[in-house]
Amino acid sequence: MSGAILRRRWQSALGWALAALAGMLLVGVLLHIMLFVLMRGGGALSLEMLLTDTQGVAGGLRNAITGSLLLSGLGLALGVPIGVGSGIYLAERRGSLNARVLSLVVDVLVGVPSIVLGYFGYVTLVLHLGWGFSLAAGALTLALLMLPYIARSTDLALRNLPTSLRESAYALGCGEGRLVMRILLPAAAGPVFTGILLAFAIGLGETAPLIYTADWSNYLWNGKFLHAPVGYLTYVIWSYIQEPFASAHQLAYAAALIIMLLVFALALGARLVLLKRYAPAA
Amino acid sequence: MKNTLSPSRFLRRTLIGVAAVAALGGAAAAQAAVQIQETGSSLLYPLFNLWVPDFAHTHPGVQISTASTGSGTGLSQSIAGLVQVGASDAYMSGAMMKQHPDMLNIPLAISSQMVNYNLPGLNGRHLKLSGPVLAGIYSGKITNWDDPQIRALNPGVALPNHVIIPVHRTDGSGDTFIFTQYLSFSTPWWNNKYAYGTSISWAPVQGGIGAEGNPGMVDAVKGNPYSVAYIGVSYKAQTEGAHLGEALLKNRAGNFVLPEVKTVKAAAAAMVPKTPADQRISLIYAPGKESYPIINYEYAVVKADQPNGQVAGELKTLLSWAVASTGGNAEKYMRQVNFVPLPANAAHQSLAQIAKIHG
Amino acid sequence: MSADPGLTAAAPAAGGLRRSFSWRPRFGHLLALLAAVPMLALLALFIFLVLYAKPAMPIDGWHFLVRDTWNLGNLYADPVTVHGRQMLPGASYGILFLIVGTLASAALAVVFALPLAVLSALLLAELLKGIPAFLVSTLIELLAAVPSVVYGLWGYVFLIPFLDHHLYGFLEHRVGPWLPFFAGPRGSGYGLLTSAIVLAIMVVPLITATLRDGLAATPRELREAGRALGATGFESAWRVVLRGQRTVLFGATILALGRALGETMAVLMVSGNALNYLPHNIYAPISTMAAFIVSQLDSALQDPTGMALRALAEIALVLLVITVAVNLAARLLLQFYGRRK
Repeated sequence: MSGAILRRRWQSALGWALAALAGMLLVGVLLHIMLFVLMRGGGALSLEMLLTDTQGVAGGLRNAITGSLLLSGLGLALGVPIGVGSGIYLAERRGSLNARVLSLVVDVLVGVPSIVLGYFGYVTLVLHLGWGFSLAAGALTLALLMLPYIARSTDLALRNLPTSLRESAYALGCGEGRLVMRILLPAAAGPVFTGILLAFAIGLGETAPLIYTADWSNYLWNGKFLHAPVGYLTYVIWSYIQEPFASAHQLAYAAALIIMLLVFALALGARLVLLKRYAPAA
Repeated sequence: MKNTLSPSRFLRRTLIGVAAVAALGGAAAAQAAVQIQETGSSLLYPLFNLWVPDFAHTHPGVQISTASTGSGTGLSQSIAGLVQVGASDAYMSGAMMKQHPDMLNIPLAISSQMVNYNLPGLNGRHLKLSGPVLAGIYSGKITNWDDPQIRALNPGVALPNHVIIPVHRTDGSGDTFIFTQYLSFSTPWWNNKYAYGTSISWAPVQGGIGAEGNPGMVDAVKGNPYSVAYIGVSYKAQTEGAHLGEALLKNRAGNFVLPEVKTVKAAAAAMVPKTPADQRISLIYAPGKESYPIINYEYAVVKADQPNGQVAGELKTLLSWAVASTGGNAEKYMRQVNFVPLPANAAHQSLAQIAKIHG
Repeated sequence: MSADPGLTAAAPAAGGLRRSFSWRPRFGHLLALLAAVPMLALLALFIFLVLYAKPAMPIDGWHFLVRDTWNLGNLYADPVTVHGRQMLPGASYGILFLIVGTLASAALAVVFALPLAVLSALLLAELLKGIPAFLVSTLIELLAAVPSVVYGLWGYVFLIPFLDHHLYGFLEHRVGPWLPFFAGPRGSGYGLLTSAIVLAIMVVPLITATLRDGLAATPRELREAGRALGATGFESAWRVVLRGQRTVLFGATILALGRALGETMAVLMVSGNALNYLPHNIYAPISTMAAFIVSQLDSALQDPTGMALRALAEIALVLLVITVAVNLAARLLLQFYGRRK
């Protein structure tokens, strides 16, 4: 009897040990990637790199940094109204046939591989509409990519609000527009904002949808939305690490470091917003 | 609840952030320079990167972006009007020219291609290879370095008994174009089965590797002992740095030659006089005892009809400078990438084509 | 949301009630308008791909899916007319090797990810508490935030040589004799196994997070009941709590599969880009549909007949249908289960 118990205790300990090992492995991989990028990128990165533009396989990353922010920023500017609007529709019309269909559509959009969107953007926007490689083509493609994430997070945020909030508002004769804009969205601002931050991070980290829509430029954005290619950080990583020049590798590692810092800051920022929101309740 | 952002406020903040970024980028718009976008051949890319800073120095009104994407991209994006200069090691096909008659194929320099290998212990020696043997390797008919056909070319060399790893380009590539032309022109059965192009349907050789761009080819050969690859000569510094072997190739006259200034010039001398006015011609497998078999024109593929006179003007200035022996074809640039300058009559033909560019 | 400030500003506190009637329908319309955008976008995507791919479909018919014959044809020959369609001589499009490469790498990735995800979720939900739990779960979630191209960079520069030296040799010589698929030659380090490992790391956090939330939502009474019956801590977690989350785990796994199927950049950088052959062992180079679209788009554009570009649309369509089906299956499963609960 005691032998069986001992064996089970052992098994339990072994189970927890394996679980701890799995956790350590995952955390270890993350730390390795972070250190890898930090060491190589940190050694390459300089202030001058932030302030000058790319020249061939050398120079700086100013054009790529601003390009990344512009593409994702404009993508967000297009994606947020549509995404939040769709999210409100999902939450407030829930149960209706339209909302059920929209919910399905949002799920499907999340699953669309980003290169399929890139191909779509290239053939339709760049070639057929004649926009050329441009900020508009890149940002619109990214907006399509970010949209379902924003919609879903808005939907969940509004759903989690107590029904009493809606009931009391309607009881006071409040219209739907006012209810949503004045009461529900402010109450759900934290999680909605989190969703937007995460969508921004997803956009910044994307490459595949941009290669054939934004292309690449060695110069700062020239203010044109059409017919002017835009550089971005992920392109530098993908393209320059395959060049056989040390200066190109330096740029690739520095770009990786910058994009990781941006994306991690956004991801952690998103978590903090949530924490701040829920801390008093906990 | 007090510290929650109202939706309009956080949206406003988001928009302010976007606007700030836009303003930052917009600051550059004030410069209003002419933008010329170059993309394509990874073989021409290092040369453009040498040219651009020097040219931009004397021509501050023009901004030139360069990208190494492969000749396929260079050709197609120039045709689509997405870039001004499509860099390519390959000229446009007859069918493409029929569809897009206003495209110009303008040679900027003469390049050649190496066949490199990574054979531990043998990289210091120049193995002899021929078109039919390379065709055998790339079709999967010759799979071992110790094959009788390779031994016959290299008597006395202790070839390893090891599987050959052929490396080919996965992107549309002018290097693939000229390499498969060499195989096609020297080996009839290859021509019948695979022919040539910037992208061909490679035989499924087990263990064969696909690589992106010339840099990817160098990396793949470096990382894989017993591999063989075709690499543009502007990457010679990299192949030498990686201590890769470089093959002597069999030319039309039956001699085995290395890609050197002398052998490339010999091949060019045989082929340049045959060049038609539109300059679309293969220089592969040239006659002549000393001729290196894989040389080619490096093309700028350009639309004659540019969106406006300003762009057309800057483009003409850039290209005319590039083909001039006192400009881009100067020895100091050519030597760094192991190219050979255009012979005078070829440069003359190029200038005649450049003159056709208009706004 | 550009209309928001206008809407809110148009409702002064005193007249709010009356005004609300006048802009209530407007708000509804605006909402409907915004909500229509994703639907129209998805519809446009599907219709575009189907229409664009249609001219290429008769060339190979169903053989498109079951043959390894991707060939753009002779790019420098004159186009020929086949069944009234212009195409290049020798052109044929068969993508079995891409379908196999995509499915095999994604499936293998999920197989690797699953035990890691289950164990780490148990760790986070059942063993760790407070700050350590928060820290570890934050770190694992950050793993999901790493951009695909950074995984590609890390895989290309670090992981390939590392695995080639430290793992693949061992597998070839120790496992190879028992499992033929692990036998050599092991090639270059670029290939199926490397792709699957990178993909596994990328999808683990998705499963972990979903499962952890499911585990955390399990009522405490269940655990206590388990313990009261004499189960050890791990037994209670494994047999009682985890068992209750089987459907969640299944749904999350399928979701992860969907993500792995569509992953592009990381795979492009570590897969070895095989063309027209199936992997003969687990180390062999592969290519996936998503990576292939990126690497072949430029070549396809050189086909003067445009048929190659349309064949790529066929690939995009097949990829879209597969990923959408997988995603929907996962979501429906999770939703169905959620409703029943």
